[in-house]
Amino acid sequence: MQWAWLIPVFSFAVAPVIVLAGGRLTALSRVPGGAVLSIAAIGAGFAFFWIALLGWMDASAGTESCYVAAGTEALTCNYERTWFNAGLPGLDGSVALTWGFFVDPLTIAMLGLVTFVALMVQIYSLGYMHGDPRINWYFAVHALFAASMLTIILADSFLLLYVAWELVGVCSYLLIGFWHERPAAREAAKKAFIVTRIGDVGLLVGILLLWREVGTFSMTDAFAAVQAGTMGEGVTIAAALLLFLGAMGKSAQIPFHVWLPDAMEGPTPVSALIHAATMVVAGVFLVARAFPLFEAYNATPLLVVAIVGLVTALVTSTIALVATDIKRILAYSTVSHLGLMMLSLGAFGYTAAIFHLLAHGFAKALLFLGAGSVIHSTEEQEISRLGGLRKVMPLTTLVFAIGAMSLGGIPILAGFWSKDEILQAVSQGRNPAFIVFALITALLSALYMGRALFATFFGKLPQELEHTHESPPVMTVPLALLAILAVGFGFISFNWPGAFGGFGYFVFFHEGHGFEFTWWIGILSGVMAVGAFVFTWMVYERGSISLESARRRFAPLLRVVENKYYFDEIYQWTIDRVVLVFAGFVAFFDRAIVNDIGINGPADTVRRLGVALRLHVTGHLYSYALAMTLGVVALGIFWWLITA
Amino acid sequence: MPLTANLDLLTPEFALAGLAFLVFAADLVLPEGRKHWLGWLSVAGLLALIAVSVIMLWGVEETLYNGLLAVDDFSLWFKVLFMVIGVFIILSSMDFVSERLEHQGEFYGIVLFSVLGMNVMAQSRELLTAYIALELLSFSLYVLAAYARDNAKSNESGLKYIIIGAFSSAILLYGVSMVYGVLGVTKFEAIAAGLAAIPDTGAVSPSLWVGVALILVGLGFKVAAVPFHMWAPDVYEGAPYPITAYLSIGSKAAAFALVLRLAAEGFVPVGDRWEQWQLILAVLAAVTMLVGNLVALAQRNLKRLMAYSSIGHSGFILAGVAALSLDSNLPSNGVMLYLVGYSATNFVVFGGLISFFNMTGKEMMSDLAGLGGTQPFLAASIAIGMFSLAGLPIFAGFAIKFYLFTAVADEGFLWLAGLAVFASLVSLYYYLQVVRQMYIEPAEGEPAYGHGYGYEHVDAEHGEQGAGHNESGEGDEPAPARRYGAAQFETHPALGRRPSVTVIAVLGAGLLAVFWIGVYPSPLLDTIEAASKAILS
Repeated sequence: MQWAWLIPVFSFAVAPVIVLAGGRLTALSRVPGGAVLSIAAIGAGFAFFWIALLGWMDASAGTESCYVAAGTEALTCNYERTWFNAGLPGLDGSVALTWGFFVDPLTIAMLGLVTFVALMVQIYSLGYMHGDPRINWYFAVHALFAASMLTIILADSFLLLYVAWELVGVCSYLLIGFWHERPAAREAAKKAFIVTRIGDVGLLVGILLLWREVGTFSMTDAFAAVQAGTMGEGVTIAAALLLFLGAMGKSAQIPFHVWLPDAMEGPTPVSALIHAATMVVAGVFLVARAFPLFEAYNATPLLVVAIVGLVTALVTSTIALVATDIKRILAYSTVSHLGLMMLSLGAFGYTAAIFHLLAHGFAKALLFLGAGSVIHSTEEQEISRLGGLRKVMPLTTLVFAIGAMSLGGIPILAGFWSKDEILQAVSQGRNPAFIVFALITALLSALYMGRALFATFFGKLPQELEHTHESPPVMTVPLALLAILAVGFGFISFNWPGAFGGFGYFVFFHEGHGFEFTWWIGILSGVMAVGAFVFTWMVYERGSISLESARRRFAPLLRVVENKYYFDEIYQWTIDRVVLVFAGFVAFFDRAIVNDIGINGPADTVRRLGVALRLHVTGHLYSYALAMTLGVVALGIFWWLITA
Repeated sequence: MPLTANLDLLTPEFALAGLAFLVFAADLVLPEGRKHWLGWLSVAGLLALIAVSVIMLWGVEETLYNGLLAVDDFSLWFKVLFMVIGVFIILSSMDFVSERLEHQGEFYGIVLFSVLGMNVMAQSRELLTAYIALELLSFSLYVLAAYARDNAKSNESGLKYIIIGAFSSAILLYGVSMVYGVLGVTKFEAIAAGLAAIPDTGAVSPSLWVGVALILVGLGFKVAAVPFHMWAPDVYEGAPYPITAYLSIGSKAAAFALVLRLAAEGFVPVGDRWEQWQLILAVLAAVTMLVGNLVALAQRNLKRLMAYSSIGHSGFILAGVAALSLDSNLPSNGVMLYLVGYSATNFVVFGGLISFFNMTGKEMMSDLAGLGGTQPFLAASIAIGMFSLAGLPIFAGFAIKFYLFTAVADEGFLWLAGLAVFASLVSLYYYLQVVRQMYIEPAEGEPAYGHGYGYEHVDAEHGEQGAGHNESGEGDEPAPARRYGAAQFETHPALGRRPSVTVIAVLGAGLLAVFWIGVYPSPLLDTIEAASKAILS
């Protein structure tokens, strides 16, 4: 377990090797060399995840470096090394910067998700990216991403977390813009980077605020300070909200949600791994990790989390309902589910949020990879031009259907249980308005999932797609493995006999709790999900229901939703009229005052000084000796002045 | 106790001298064309001696010859550093020596002797012993600087070096004799005791502080402190390239080893009086870092640039020496860490520059133009080295500067630390000039923007929806001959070759060290801490 730090190190190590030597390795084998290295590294990470898990299960509060953490009351193992020890002026003693990592239930759960999904996605990419001239670069960035994401999960200090946090942002940028010949991809990459960066500023300020209060970057110290009450109420709430700002950016919560749908310009496996299963849940993870901060002082920040989550979930699920691009439907669905996770955290449903995070991760990766399989075979992603694919791509249809039904909340599939847990947590933790809107979101989620499924794979097969083939096994095998989890993952939440009492006794905050099932919520959401799927089936397969009249009646409303509530337009207006105008002024100031007068002036002076001083080295030996002699005299006089 | 009781502690030194003689002897019997074996023999011998020294002397703390020499963690630490430097220097000079110099065997033998001199310098605790070791080092370097006998510049370099060197040796000796004249001792500890015995109120004999000042001048010459630095650019420029590297790395490290021990054992324990003298050292450091970095701005020759750069770095290290105190190990730790990081970085820079010189015979900054296209690995190494010298993070340069400057500030020299930061800022300009030459400036005879980086494609395509890169028109695949920097091939066909294995090994190891020190210096600092404790007890 003390070797868990190796999990990201494998991938960190191979990334530069792929960049430098990937081409040469490719020449040696039939498979791209970068892919072999990257997959081997993440495979090793997956193996070490099991080692960490088993080690943690063997450990007890008495094991070295392990203890029951205050706050979560979970068995936590924390390994720490000094990275840098330095004395800083104005501070007492020296400042130790440390790097270290946690092995606790939250970390282990996330490790399992990230290593497994990354492994599946990278294997899948072998097929999807086959023949791309930059495939080694693709795998290098994938490896770097996996390493950084795993570092976020393991980090025991805010500093390390922040570094990894920025690195995943860079990887996301590079992969969204992977096909940078396409202007849309370049724009999307920039948008993703800049929008998340606004949230990151909040995260950074929050971290610095905590550091100012606590004196270290250690999370344990920060939480201890909160619990001991030495950190004041205002500071705690401010820090929690600032961290949440970072989480909002990364997890694409309203109003930062605009970058995620555009990020679909990247290769589809990237969307599956980064923009569905792992990186975007980093925000949820951060809130969960910093839960002691959010929960202190009457949990004021959690109310904000709940409201932001609910609004995001509701608004984006309506957009998903009208989007026409299969990847964008999935993207808005991701944002909506991230909102649900935030809502769950905001309603004190810690376990439910993490459980849904995992179940959603498997199912959504499956859906994206399934969509990728479609795109790979048909080169088409508009659902209006797709349809009937079940006849030519049976396996993809099956797994996509599993993913859609799981996420749509069809009973006994994983998504049903995890969504139910969230609804239950919301019904217990927040006032009734929340549960009403949450149920509406659940219904919408089943509707858009049914729509995506039936519009793509059922109905009439367009003529030009008749010669489509199923994707190669290297792509379908990962799909099948993910499908198994999308079906069966929910069962781990049950009350199992024996040491593992169920997910509720594994990841929890304060105290573990068993599996509960609130019948009215379960039946209601189950009926709604089944009904939604039947309804969409009738619309898109049978054609027995036509939406035309409804579409006409609600035309103005529909236009607002189809235009994504004009978020992009409002932002663009603000950028053009406010930001750029202000930026123009700043740029003028920067050029005229700061640069010409402030920088170039002194810089020219310094350079002229250098040119002038150069002349003192004449090349004549006697002048060197003279200078030394004068130096001796000067030193003597100086010495005399000082001692006398 | 007889003087020779624990003579076995000097085994590494005896073996090193033996190795040097072995190289001389083997030189006589080896046929021409096999002489490069001597280089490998020296490297293997040095590596073995590093292992022997570490195994034998780890944790030993004894003195020899009635206290003239100390065998402690400090000596061991520096010995290992010097021998590693020797290994690197021999490795990076092999190509140069076999292609451009005569008398290879003697070259390697003399390098080994200079390493011996450095080793003894780090161990000596007495002024005259230190002086003899210093002279062994200096004489080796005089010979090496003039080694390219048919090159006028190399001769000029050697001549200037020996004359100014003799001048400063005389000053040093004069200082030693004056100190001896007043205190009657030459051992460092005894000097400290003698200084401490002078009552605070009593007048200090002028000849005492004149003596100390003269010693300071003699050592200031070795580290090229301003105003005793003027030999450096001329000597660096004329000396054979690997020797330029050696001067800036080995000779400087050895001089600072001696300065550290002398200051820490001879002056720091004196207390109040040391606090007065700190100011003198601080002013010396300030002038040195300013002059070195400012004049470097105006340099066009790479060797002279590196000479002024090394003067600037001497200023930084001197600031650490000025901050030495009994209360804290941070300044002496900082000086040692700085020496390691600076050496590793300079190996990377010089490794790349020497290899470039071997291929082209050029040494001006403008000759580097286009190197990023023709020799990507060399260019990247030099660029990383330059970033590190400038003190940018994740490279060694940042970690060592951060550590040393905070230590200096912590000891109350906030103004000096601020000045050092300013000087580093200035240095960024000329280091980046080199990077700019390699990556931005086109090679002579080329248009400003080379082909092959795909600028035209991107621009032409701007705004076209989804146009594939390869469908956008004519001339997609740049012919190899039109690569960026390709014009260099025409004048220097050798630039098409891959650098030799030794160069790649030196650069690879150096780069690893640069990253390692920059990212995780803690293990190294643990060994430095032990070395510091040995002199500051």
